[in-house]
Amino acid sequence: MKGYASLVKPYILWMSLFIVVPMLLIVLYAFTEHGNALMAFRFTLDNFMRFFDPVFIKVLFKSLEVAIITTVLCIIIGYPIAYIISNTSERTQTLLILLITLPMWINMLVRTYAWISILSDGGILNSIFEFFGLAPIKMMYTDFAVMLGMVYNFLPFMIISIYTVLAKLDRALIHASHDLGANPIQTFLRIVLPLSMPGVISGITLVFLPAVSTFVIPKFLGGGQYMLIGNLIENQFITVGEWNFGSAISLIMAVIIMGSMILTRKIDRDASDTASVEGGKLW
Amino acid sequence: MKKLSMLILVLAFMLAGCNSETKTLKVFNWGVYMDASLIDEFEEEYNVRVVYDEFDSNESMYTKLMSGEKYDVIVPSDYMVQRLIEENLLQKLDKNVVSLENVLPNVLNQGFDPNNEYSAPYFWGNVGLIYDKTQVDAKDLEDGWNILLNEKYKGNIYFYDSERDAFLVALKALGYSANSKVDSQLNEAFDWLTQLNTTMEPIYVTDDVIDNMIAGNKAIAVVYSGDAAYILDENEDMGYFVPEEGTNLWVDNMVIPANAENPELANAWIAFMLSEDAQTRNTLEVGYSTVHKDVWEFMISDEGDYAGNDAYAVRVDYSKDEIFKYDEELKVKMSDLWLKIKAQ
Repeated sequence: MKGYASLVKPYILWMSLFIVVPMLLIVLYAFTEHGNALMAFRFTLDNFMRFFDPVFIKVLFKSLEVAIITTVLCIIIGYPIAYIISNTSERTQTLLILLITLPMWINMLVRTYAWISILSDGGILNSIFEFFGLAPIKMMYTDFAVMLGMVYNFLPFMIISIYTVLAKLDRALIHASHDLGANPIQTFLRIVLPLSMPGVISGITLVFLPAVSTFVIPKFLGGGQYMLIGNLIENQFITVGEWNFGSAISLIMAVIIMGSMILTRKIDRDASDTASVEGGKLW
Repeated sequence: MKKLSMLILVLAFMLAGCNSETKTLKVFNWGVYMDASLIDEFEEEYNVRVVYDEFDSNESMYTKLMSGEKYDVIVPSDYMVQRLIEENLLQKLDKNVVSLENVLPNVLNQGFDPNNEYSAPYFWGNVGLIYDKTQVDAKDLEDGWNILLNEKYKGNIYFYDSERDAFLVALKALGYSANSKVDSQLNEAFDWLTQLNTTMEPIYVTDDVIDNMIAGNKAIAVVYSGDAAYILDENEDMGYFVPEEGTNLWVDNMVIPANAENPELANAWIAFMLSEDAQTRNTLEVGYSTVHKDVWEFMISDEGDYAGNDAYAVRVDYSKDEIFKYDEELKVKMSDLWLKIKAQ
């Protein structure tokens, strides 16, 4: 066993080099004054103070709002899909899951560009509308376009994580529920739903985290005026060159994300506690 | 005997290896800014390998440079050349290799590099309005930049998403210098842009403006003249207009970073790019205005490829057209204000 333990060493080195060091750099930048020379840093809290401007706070809330709506929509759309897939034959399941993951093999940028040509004023959708004599609808550069892009991009994460739990569900529990006289709705609400909560929770984590910090989708589909926190950070690093302020925003973001992760974890634990009381251990 | 021939063979390979050890030239240019076949030609002529990377803004180029990336030739705009010179990040051109004698005098010896010691022009142009002639009243154009506040065109405007260009438009609309550092003028410009943002519902775009205007999606857009020249070529309903209040005159330049690994090749590349042939092919491919005297004369002449193209023939010798000056403090101030306008 001892021999195996040392196998973890390169992994630790890798982790510290590519995860811990960049994080430390962000913290360092966030607490220091402007200047590209790393050696001449001076401690300051100004970068954080700057963020507490009504304008930036508004951006923060807008990002949270967009991320929450995205997550909720992903659950509403993703859960039924995952449920339906898990109830098909095993061979169909493999095929359907493949179809769900298929678009993810293509780069997100390319897929977002595809949406531009679908949604734009002279794009595919509007051409179809025109063909049927309908008035063109402005879709590009609207909230609708951004929301669509977000849900489209993150939906597979939600479906997969709910599906994984549903597929492992012990069928005997459902049969038992039926035998005891519960109707399908009761069975779903009291057996399937509680037992699938861990999947929903991990789906929320997988969707909410990238959604709250994304900048490519709002930039492409919402236009430059669609300012979310991710755009703000990108702007500070790339255009303005204010790495210190950008780092401070990133750090604030990291704290918020960390907080929401602890929260979902707690909900997750509570949920699995109730689930294990009601329907036995899941794993 | 066999061993000996083997040895000779090995030695021969080693020598051949030495000969074919080609040098690498790293070029960092704007996206879609060159006829790519020129790269192959240069590689063949000088027996080198060219690594060609692209950037989308002066600032992102600067950021990449600062992060330690090494290039032999980069193509920053005027104010960025000034900044790079001020920060000692460039080396002088070898004037024995790079000759500027065929370059248009209008783009030489400008404030950012008074004697062109560090920079050789690549493309030049200005900033103006492209408009749909079927939708925009010619009369409204008399308002100059203020047409962007005309509520008739509400929801029908693309505005360039860059703080420097945004403030250029606002400052010029108010009759101030594009390089103004006066706080009261900047605040007025901020109010102008806020009004634009709240009453006109503009869409802030960058390069996506090109496809959108070719498709005729909106009536008016703020564009660079080179992009406008291309749009005019593709959509004949479009017109190009540079307000009398003045605009920004810009020059993109080839420069050699101080830490370039192959300055000799870099000079050769710059000379190659300034040749009549390369200038002709680039300007035909990209649509931006050439800096070569003879090519320029031909292109805007009646037989030229850009005859009658209002955007290609950049307005010259107009005192209200200014080149941007670099100023760190002003840059921070403008980007702060611009952020606030967009986040409203």
